[in-house]
Amino acid sequence: MKSLIIILVIIGALIVIASGVWVAITLITGNRHEK
Amino acid sequence: MVLSVAVVLAYVVLLTFVAVRARAAREFEEFSLAKRALPLALVFGSLAATYVGPAFSIGFVGRGFNSGLLFLGIGLAYSIQNILVGLFVAPRLRHLKGCHTLGDAIGQKYDQKCQVLAGIISVGLCAGFAAVMAKAGGGVLRDVFGLPLWSSVFIVVAVTALYTTFGGLRASVITDAFQFSSFAILLPITLLFVLAFHLKGGAATFTSQASAATTNGLSVTSPIEIIGLLAAFLLGETLIPPYANRALASKTTRVSRNGFILAGLFSVFWFMVMIALGITARSIIPADTGEDFVLLNMVKSTVPAGGYALLLVVLVSVVMSSLDSLLNAGAVAFTQDILKPFVKLPDTSALNVGRAATIVIALVAAAGAVAVPSIIGGLLICYTIWAPAILPTLIIGLWIKRPHPLAGILSMGVGTVVAITLWIILWLIFKFVYPANVEIPPLIIIPALGAALLAYALGHWIQRSKSGV
Repeated sequence: MKSLIIILVIIGALIVIASGVWVAITLITGNRHEK
Repeated sequence: MVLSVAVVLAYVVLLTFVAVRARAAREFEEFSLAKRALPLALVFGSLAATYVGPAFSIGFVGRGFNSGLLFLGIGLAYSIQNILVGLFVAPRLRHLKGCHTLGDAIGQKYDQKCQVLAGIISVGLCAGFAAVMAKAGGGVLRDVFGLPLWSSVFIVVAVTALYTTFGGLRASVITDAFQFSSFAILLPITLLFVLAFHLKGGAATFTSQASAATTNGLSVTSPIEIIGLLAAFLLGETLIPPYANRALASKTTRVSRNGFILAGLFSVFWFMVMIALGITARSIIPADTGEDFVLLNMVKSTVPAGGYALLLVVLVSVVMSSLDSLLNAGAVAFTQDILKPFVKLPDTSALNVGRAATIVIALVAAAGAVAVPSIIGGLLICYTIWAPAILPTLIIGLWIKRPHPLAGILSMGVGTVVAITLWIILWLIFKFVYPANVEIPPLIIIPALGAALLAYALGHWIQRSKSGV
């Protein structure tokens, strides 16, 4: 049970990190296109 | 409607199963500190689940909608705070022997009077924070079941209080980690879904909306308000009782340090996702949507019914994972800091008192939920009192060799009184003398903190001159 929850925590954290990185890249590339 | 109710009920049953598997606490040490055996993943997951409450989800999406990247910058102050606490404060706190609470730590460094005062402030603030969570959770359930607000608030508080009362910190941490994974998976998926299927113009639209929202945010927020908000996010939630309990309950000082650092780094990415959701909502829902309704309304108008039901699960978990930590921390502070200094309690009695206190704080939070103005507004009031009331005493006490009790008492007393008095005066001024829609708490935190620091210096100087040390 504890191991399962730890795995879920790691998956959740990785998904949020990947999404945050993707948002940052979108903002940076979008700014370049605007210029 | 039927689907939403079914999904939310199924989630609550699953959560109860997780809580039951975490088993009931059998002694006070287990109820308050989970026997000081929490591994890194649970400390990190639980910390993140506790700070990601309605303000850092619903509230931040609303602020992203209105102020764009401005609130990402302000949120970063919070991330820096967590990393600094991890680097410099949490290991020192964990290093203290026999501490169950923040008040205990203050009691060890100063004296028993300081511990009792810290305990009173901790319990009051936990009840205040819990009232904000109760209001947010009640709002979500009202939306699902169509019940009156008071009964929705009661249901959220009762379910959370039930597993926290029996399981204590261990149940709180394990359910937190479980709830963390549910919202950390579902909210980014919501963002990707909306961006992929509902945002016309792709990255260029997103960037132009971000720029327009940020310009709007900067034009309506004065520099002094920005400085106040930065101070509030940097200091207001620093080591509030549930975080301090996680620092104390970590397996080792290293786990305590790394848990806070990881939680701080994670919050940067979390804020990005929340602000991005708010910015995306600008081209989907009407511009006059209320701040606390942006996320709900956007999901309602874009995601199919099943997705909306899942979002409600996310919101329930966001609220309950913060509420359970606050109820447990308040109950432990009451037992350890307010009662134990005066009454000799055997372990079983302490455990029972802790359980009873959990229920009483839950009831106070449910009753106080009606007085909460808005989610972020309510939290800012709590931040404004917490930082001046506790931080100077706690942080200076952990760093200097012989802190003087008079300095601690004066700093905590003056910090609390100045913060509350200023809040009342400014509220009266902006309500009756110069009617204006100004966010008051950010204007208070720096002067109140200054007053608390001055009071600390004065107390330190008086006691040093008296004792000649």
